Parts: sequence; C-alpha cells; structure tokens
Amino acid sequence: MTVSGISVAFPGVQALDDVSFELRRGEVHAIVGENGAGKSTLMKVLAGIHPPDSGILTLDGEEVQITSPRHAHDLGISTIHQEFNLMPDLTIAQNIFIGRERRISGIFIDDRSQEERTRSLFDRLGLALDPGERVENLTVARQQMVEIAKALSFNARVLIMDEPTAALNEAEVETLLGLIRRFRTPDTAVIYITHRMHELTRISDRVTVLRDGRNVTTLETASTTVPEVIPLMVGRAIQGEQRPAGGHDHGDIVLSVRGLSTRRLLDDINFDLRRGEILGFAGLMGAGRTELGRALVGADHITSGSIWLHGQPVSVPNPAVAAGLGIGYLSEDRKRFGVVLEQSVSANIILNTLSDYVGPMGLMKDDAIERKVKASVETLQIRTPSTRQRVKNLSGGNQQKVVIAKWLAKNCDVLVFDEPTRGIDVGAKEEIYRLLNELAARGKSIIMISSELPEVLRMSHRVAVMCEGRLTVVLDNADATQEIIMDHATRFSAAGTVKL
Amino acid sequence: MNASQDLLSQGVRGLEPTKTSRMRSQLQQLLALATLVVMVVAFSVASPFFFTSDNLIGILTAATVTGILALGTTFVIVSGGIDLSLGTGMILCGVMSGVFLTYWGWPTWLGVIGVILFGALLGTINGFNTAVLRIPPFIATLGMMLIAQGLSLVVSGTKPIYFPNHPDFQDLMNLSIIPGQRFPLGVGIYVALIAIAIVVLSRTLVGRYAFSMGSNEEATELSGLNVRRWKVIIYSIQGLFVGLAGVLAASRLSSAQPTGGLGLELDAIAAVVIGGTSLQGGRGSMVGTVIGTLIVAVLTNGLRIIAVPQEWQSVVIGCVILVAVYLDMLRRRKT
Amino acid sequence: MRKQMVRLVGALVAATLVLAACGGESSSTTQPSGGNTTEAPAELPYIALISKGFQHQFWQAVKLGAEQAAEELGAEVTFEGPESEGDVDQQMQLLQTALDKNPDAVGFAAVDSQAAGPLMEQAESKGIPVIAFDSGVDSDVPVTTATTDNLAASAEAAKNMAELIGHSGKIALVVHDQTSVTGVERRDGFVEYMEANEPDIEIIDIQYGGDPRVATDIAKAILTANPDLVGIYGSNEGAAIGVVQAVTELGLEDAAKSGELVVIGFDSGKAQMDAIRSGLMAGAITQNPVGIGYETVKAALAVINGDSVPKVIDTGFYWYNADNIDDPEIQAVLYE
Repeated sequence: MTVSGISVAFPGVQALDDVSFELRRGEVHAIVGENGAGKSTLMKVLAGIHPPDSGILTLDGEEVQITSPRHAHDLGISTIHQEFNLMPDLTIAQNIFIGRERRISGIFIDDRSQEERTRSLFDRLGLALDPGERVENLTVARQQMVEIAKALSFNARVLIMDEPTAALNEAEVETLLGLIRRFRTPDTAVIYITHRMHELTRISDRVTVLRDGRNVTTLETASTTVPEVIPLMVGRAIQGEQRPAGGHDHGDIVLSVRGLSTRRLLDDINFDLRRGEILGFAGLMGAGRTELGRALVGADHITSGSIWLHGQPVSVPNPAVAAGLGIGYLSEDRKRFGVVLEQSVSANIILNTLSDYVGPMGLMKDDAIERKVKASVETLQIRTPSTRQRVKNLSGGNQQKVVIAKWLAKNCDVLVFDEPTRGIDVGAKEEIYRLLNELAARGKSIIMISSELPEVLRMSHRVAVMCEGRLTVVLDNADATQEIIMDHATRFSAAGTVKL
Repeated sequence: MNASQDLLSQGVRGLEPTKTSRMRSQLQQLLALATLVVMVVAFSVASPFFFTSDNLIGILTAATVTGILALGTTFVIVSGGIDLSLGTGMILCGVMSGVFLTYWGWPTWLGVIGVILFGALLGTINGFNTAVLRIPPFIATLGMMLIAQGLSLVVSGTKPIYFPNHPDFQDLMNLSIIPGQRFPLGVGIYVALIAIAIVVLSRTLVGRYAFSMGSNEEATELSGLNVRRWKVIIYSIQGLFVGLAGVLAASRLSSAQPTGGLGLELDAIAAVVIGGTSLQGGRGSMVGTVIGTLIVAVLTNGLRIIAVPQEWQSVVIGCVILVAVYLDMLRRRKT
Repeated sequence: MRKQMVRLVGALVAATLVLAACGGESSSTTQPSGGNTTEAPAELPYIALISKGFQHQFWQAVKLGAEQAAEELGAEVTFEGPESEGDVDQQMQLLQTALDKNPDAVGFAAVDSQAAGPLMEQAESKGIPVIAFDSGVDSDVPVTTATTDNLAASAEAAKNMAELIGHSGKIALVVHDQTSVTGVERRDGFVEYMEANEPDIEIIDIQYGGDPRVATDIAKAILTANPDLVGIYGSNEGAAIGVVQAVTELGLEDAAKSGELVVIGFDSGKAQMDAIRSGLMAGAITQNPVGIGYETVKAALAVINGDSVPKVIDTGFYWYNADNIDDPEIQAVLYE
C-alpha cells in the first residue's frame, strides 16, 4: 500500500501535511511521533473515518478512496482503535461477530456457533476468556485483548494497531507481540502506532517518524536505535534510563493502611506512605491495584480494615469525603472518569474547587477563576489554544495534565495516580515525570500505579508489588529490578497453587 | 513463550465470573416474575373475584392493546431511542381502519393489512426523521404525536367511524377462540406476538443490532454497520405493532374513536421500564416487557376490584414504577 | 450539508406552524345566509363559543344548534374545543385567543370551573359578556347559563333505575370525570336521589373514566367483583359505551336484556341508541344539546342588545328507552 501526499486540515490546525510513506507487504511498520504529530489522524484516514483533503492512497497498485469504515473493512483494512469499539452490553462473541453474524437458515443468529468459533480463536491466540461474558464486566486490559482478537479474526491485508499495548503490562505485551509475530503472513502488513520506544526494536521492520503533521523520515529498525529516533520525534534530546534522585529522608508517615479488604478482590493490605515519597505499585492486570486506589478514596466499599491519615483513623465512604480529606484519585480511564470531555479546560480544572470561587450573591467569580486556571495552565504547560477549548479536543497528554491541574487546585496531600502516562507520548511523559517529582519535593505523597516497569523503577522511591489482591512485598528502589518485581507479581496463581 | 502464556492465563480470573453473571441476570428476571406472582396472590386473597377465569381473561384483554405497543417499543428503547407517538399513532391507525373498511369499502383482511402497513409507514417516517435528519428522537416523535392527533380528527371528521358493512371486524378482538370459554382472539393474537417478538429481539439481526446501537452506537457504526438504515428499520417494525394495536383497539369497540390515546405511550414505556429494559438502551428483554405489562395490568385491575379510590390507583402505580426501576439499578450495581 | 439542514429545519418549522394553525384546534365559522350571495354580509355580532371538547357527538349537536340560531337570528359564530375532553390547559388557551379577538360575546363551557377564574375577570374588564353553557362556571361573571339541570336529570335517571330494579339491590356508577361540574352533578344528583328515596338500594362503587376503552375495563372490573350487581349507570356517552361493551365482553347480554342487570346511560350517540334498541341498555337520559347551542347564541344576542336574561336557562332533558326512542320529539334531540 502506498500513501502519497495526504493532507488533512482541521479548524485551527494542519493535522497532516503532505504525508507520504510506503507500506510493504508482510512488514510491520511502526509509526511514532509525539501527541499531535498526526498519528491518529493518519490512522483515521486509513480506516475510512475521515476523508483526506488531498492526496492519493493506493492498495496493491490500485488507487482507492476509502469512503467509510465498512468500505475499509471490505478493502481488507482492519483497525484497532485506542478507544475500544466494543458494545459493553453484548458478549465477547457477539462483539466479535458484529456485522457478520452466523445464522441458522439465514434468519436466526446462532450464538452458540459464534461462541464456539470465538473460543477456538482464543485458543489459537492463547487467551483464556469466556466468549459468553459481557464485555462490560471485563477490565480495560481484557477489553483490549478482545479488540485485538477481533481485528485479527478478519484476516486483513492491512492491520492498523493504535497503541495496542497501552493497557497491558510487560507479560501481556510480550504475548501480544508474540501473537503478531505468529500471525504475520507474507500477505499481511501491520501498521503499528506506539509510544513505547522499546517495542520498536522487538517488533517492527521499519519505523516512520511523524512530527507536526509531516513525515520526518522512514528508517530501517535493524539499523537504528531508540536514542536516535527520539530526537527526531521531539526535536530535542531526552535523558535515558534513570532512577529517582533518592536518598533524602522522607518525612513522617502521612497515610497508613491496615488490614484493608474489599468484597471482591483485596485481601489484608498493609502499607505506609511517607510525606514527599512516591510509592509505586506494580503487578499484573487483575492484581488489584486500581481496586486499591478506588478503595482509598471511597469509590469502592471496604469490608474490613482501617485507613489512618496524619495519625488519625478516618472513614472514607465516598470520593467527596476523600477529596475533603485531601486524597485525590486520578483514574486510569481518564476519558470516562477523569475529565468532562464536553466541557472546557477552565471548567474541568476548577471542577472540584468551584465552591471556593462563589461570590456573595451566589454567582461565580469569573475573574478569579480565570486567573487560577491560567496559572495552572502555565505551570503544567498544558498545550491548548485557549482555556475555553473543549477538553475532548486536547491530546491525551494534555488531558492528563488537566486532570492533574484539577487535583492540584484542590491542594491534596495524598495523590493516587493510576497509570498516569498511559497513551501519552515521550515528550509529555517527561513533563509528567517532572511534575510528579516536583510534587513530591513539595511534600505531597504520591501513590503511582503503573504497568510500565521502567517507569516504576524510574520514579518510585519504594515499590509495592501486588498479586491476586494481596500485597506481596514493598521494596526500596535500590533493591528492585524488573525480574524481582515480576517474581513477586506472580507469587500466586489463579488456581490457588503457589508458583515454584 | 510458554512462561508468558502462563502469565497471561494466571492474570485472568477463571471461568467463575461468567457463570455467576449469567445466573444473576436470570435471577433478576425471576425477581420481576416473583413480584407479579406476589401481587396476584395478594389480590386473590383480598378478593375472591380476582382469581376467576373471567377476571384473568379480562386482565389480559385490558392489557392487549398497551401490551402490543410495549412489545413494539421495546425494540426502539433497546436501541437507545424513544417514541412518544405510540398513543396517538395507534389512534390514527384505528381511524385508518375506518377509512379503509368503511369509507373505501375494502374487505376486512385487506383493510387490516393496510392499517398495519400504515402503522409501519408512520414508524418509517419517525425513523427517517431520527436517523437521517438527525432530529433527536424525543422531538421527532413528539412532532409525530401531534401530527397524528390532528390527522385523526381531520380524517375522521371528528366523529367515530363505525363498521356497518364489516360485521366480522369486531371478531378480530372479540371472537372467542376456545369453545365453551370466553377467550378473545385479540388475546390470542397478543400471545402469538409475544412469541414472535421474543424471537426477533434475541435471535435476529434486527434485535442484535438494536442492542448494539443502544450499547454503543459509535462503536457499532465503526464496526461497519449502517446505523441509519437499521434505525429506520427498527422504528418501522415498531410501527407494525402500532398498526396492529390500532386495529385491535378499533375492533374491540367496533368503532374507530378519533380521540384519546394521549398518555398510552407513557403506559407502554412504563411497562417496558418496569420489565427491566434500560431507557439508555443496550439492555432489556421482551420477557421483561411482558412481565412489566402484566404487573401494571394486574395492579390496575386488582385495585379496581378491591375498590380502591381511583386517585390512589395512580399513586400506587407511580410508586411501583419508581421501586421497580430502583431495584433494577441496584441489581446492576452489584454486577 | 449545513445549508441543507437549515433549509430542512426551516421547512419543518413552516410546516409545523401551518399544522398548528389547522390542527391545533377544531373550529368552524358560520355566517347567516339569506339575501343575495353577491351581497357582502353586513357587520354582524361575533360570538365565540368555547366548548369542553369534541370527543362526543354531543358537542357537534351543540354546535349545530348554535349555527341554527346564528342563521336565524343573525350572528357570526365560531365553535372551538380542546381535542381531549378535559384538557384544561388547552381550553384556557383557546379562551385566551378568543378573548384576544374581542368578540361581542363569549359562550363558555368550563372544563374546570376554578381554573377559568382569571380569564373570566379578563372578559369582564374588557366588557365582553359571557354566556355559560353546559357546565356552569364557578364565577359571578357569566350573565346566564344555558344548561341541562344535571342534578335533576341524573335524579331522573336514578328514579328510573330504582323502578327497573325493583327498589332494592346493589348498583354501581361509572362517572366520566371528577372535576367538571357535569361530572360532579351527574354523580351527586343520582347518589342523593338514592340516598333520600331508596333505602334498600346500595351503591357499592363509583369509579371514573370517560374514555370508552378505560370505562370498559373499569366496568368489567366492577361487574366481575360484584356478581350480585343489579344495576349500573354510565354518566356520559363515553362511560355508557364502556359499560355496554363490558356487558358484552362478559357475556352478560342476556342478563341485561332480561332486566336482571339494568344498564342506564346518558346522552345519545349511535352506540347507546343501538344498545337501547337491542335491549342491552334499559334506557338513558338525553340532554337537549341542540337546544343548548341555540339558547346560548340567542341569550348572547339578547345581552348584546341590552335585554335582560334569566340567570339560568333550562334547556331540558328527557328519559328515553326502546318504547319512545322513535317519537319525533325524542328524535329531535338525539344525535348519531
């Protein structure tokens, strides 16, 4: 397939500017670039969601114009989007077969046959999911798996994957990459959009770098290294592997958790959090880290155990109380639980401190609000054309910054970050890491839940590892390596047997 | 390779959650059924005249027209839409039966088919306005509701239309199909429709896509489905039910009354909601709708039999709706 | 794409307005004939009549009487009413619009006596005389009321019911509504007669429903719950149709025809008249709807001319059954 001279303009921004590249049969072609570089837009053009303003696409030498997602499907272009295109109320099998249902005598849908076929698909892929389960009951990571399986089941000629590993941790990433390697055929090409630099070398044959809507260059992966690619994306040099500037004594214990259990998953969690420290939480998906975060802020019900804040026992029945106590939670699914997409940057940032800005007549003090919002935008370097911009038009990284700004405005002492850099490009990641360190230096206490082990090792002063709802160990950063963490994350298996 | 596969399987909880979630949704339907049974028992105890075959058939007869509307609108609600024109649309269809049979002299069977198709036409218009013109369903069907109301009066000349030349027309609703007992054909038709509706919703493409669109319309569209076309189809199917309801309503009184009907759509929607279908779409079942219809019908009839003052009847039914929907939400939260 | 949208929306809005003008209300205008058709009609007094509804042919008969009077006596008359009988809001809007046209007089049959108060005051301050018809209005504003004496009429119904059931037994009422004066009076007149004169007759239930479908289900419930019921009374056309339908559906036709179950109705209309002819209904009270319309317009003209009118104009009622239904004077006040 070739892409020539594609341009797309949106109001106020040139998303793609004369982009051309070539996709060879049978290759895995990675596309990297910062947020806003144009990767999503390019993907939308190829998937038939958005027509290009100008430019030509050819498939197998023939010029094509992709008019709709259905048309793209018919041409053999299969896309896995970052936002899952799954119907939550339907089962996995029903989702996978949507639009191509298996039928009995042409009229009645044969759910059983669909489930069988899905099961065999999953067997081949090595997934242990029940095809009859409703998608809404799955965690984010498992939904990702379903999306991938669905796309793979189309036997496409071109498979486009947009951040497929965003919700997966190391083990699953390896499995996915293994899947891709196994299912590559000489006839299928894969376009692989990612932020995770280290995946490039593991899977791609060539890499195209986009920056500001233009194709900067296309390189052979074999003859390139990650440190060479990053400056091309960002236009500046980035520091390499790091560990936290540690060593300084952290303050007194701010938060203590004893014997915390929830009905569904958590079992007897105990740990302390000190002032000015970043406590990283690692573990496999399903280990209970998000559940722990939610339980700490009262979003989930605690069946036993206690929480102590500044030495006093507290009860946190709901997030409003948590916010009042100074505990903030930044969800891993920021689109659903973090920001109000349709509202402006202003409205979002001021959301939970609005009551501080109400004047004597009950009207909002717009000036004071604007000042506060502008200051936040400055400090966090949120890239937005204006504070009135709707948050849904910002890139993922900037949306995350909006969420952070909101909680900072609330002056929380304890902040729980759940996957803070998920779906965010390298440049913005650095900024968020910088922010987190600043916050810690200022005396905030941070719990950082992350599935990226390098990130965990880089940022956490101490590392807590969870497995199957239990806290297996808390390590000092100096004692932690990826292997040790993984070992503790797999102490217990689902069947209840202990790993040898 | 094997190690990572093990990790993946280990990271996924086994098959248990699925079984319990399936059991749970079956349990919930049993709960609604149980409510119905409890009410029937309670009224039977309160009055010896409740649990008689005459009265039970009377309940089904009273429930037939609204019940058919509820069946039809379940499709629309499951797909995430809503239709306020059910009541007046039905009245208009009843009037059209008068037009076809009495004014234009068609034979009964042709007139009935004509009305059903006319109902489908109304539905198609609603679907077109909603899906293609993108008028929000609430507004689009509100407009149709008023148009239907007016047209009923215009077409009929504000008078009821009788069926002097079609003595068999009133049989459609009233003819007894069980010898020796008074079991109206209309109720039989309703029961048959229930079976058809259940199958269509759960086992055909229309039903599947209704759930799909209600659950996540954007995802459905991105999965390659022509969402607009299917929405029009769904509203048209509902229209078929509206047409048939109109026929049966006119048949029962053997006259097409051009007024009334306003408020019937709320009765039908209430029945659907009580039955566990979510107004947001994506979730629901025909069986639930039928149970919801029966709950309302049993309640209304029971309260009348024990001579509860009419004012209180509305209060009770309103409370039942609130409780039913609340219980449904509680059940969802637990899953 | 956007331009198309704008045009479509514009077309829809225009269409809506057109429909609103045509379909929102049911109205008609009559002018007197007579004289040359080429001659332009002289300036005639304009009387606006707002009735309770259009649901039953009753109102069409009232309209007929009004038009007759307009033709005979020389007036321009409009007749409007809400499509759903009992729709207070709509009636108030119609009345407001009528008053805004500054008619020479207004005829009004209130759905809700109380709600009409403010508009009555408005009419008075504008100097527009109000003639109430059918239901009264709970207000001092109307100069006169042309109506059936519903209390007396329903008492007559009760008297006949009592005779037909042999002065003892259990009976029930299906009344068409609880808020309008007609509903209240047709219930109270009946009930009070029974309480005063018939100690052996017991009213075991009164339920409300004017829509024939609803009335059918209500009557069925009552009949099912009380198999020893000997009489049932429907207080208007819709209620009565429902009662008759219930009797049919429950298979009680024979009981009704033989007199074991006495069914009594109110007003006329084809369904009731057929029921009386077939014996299902023992009899009914009819008002004089044509007379009501006629007297209203006549009284309005009198007031406009400065003559005095009595406070209440009794337009009369009649008891009719299979025996006298074909008598000319009864036929004159019945309608299909």
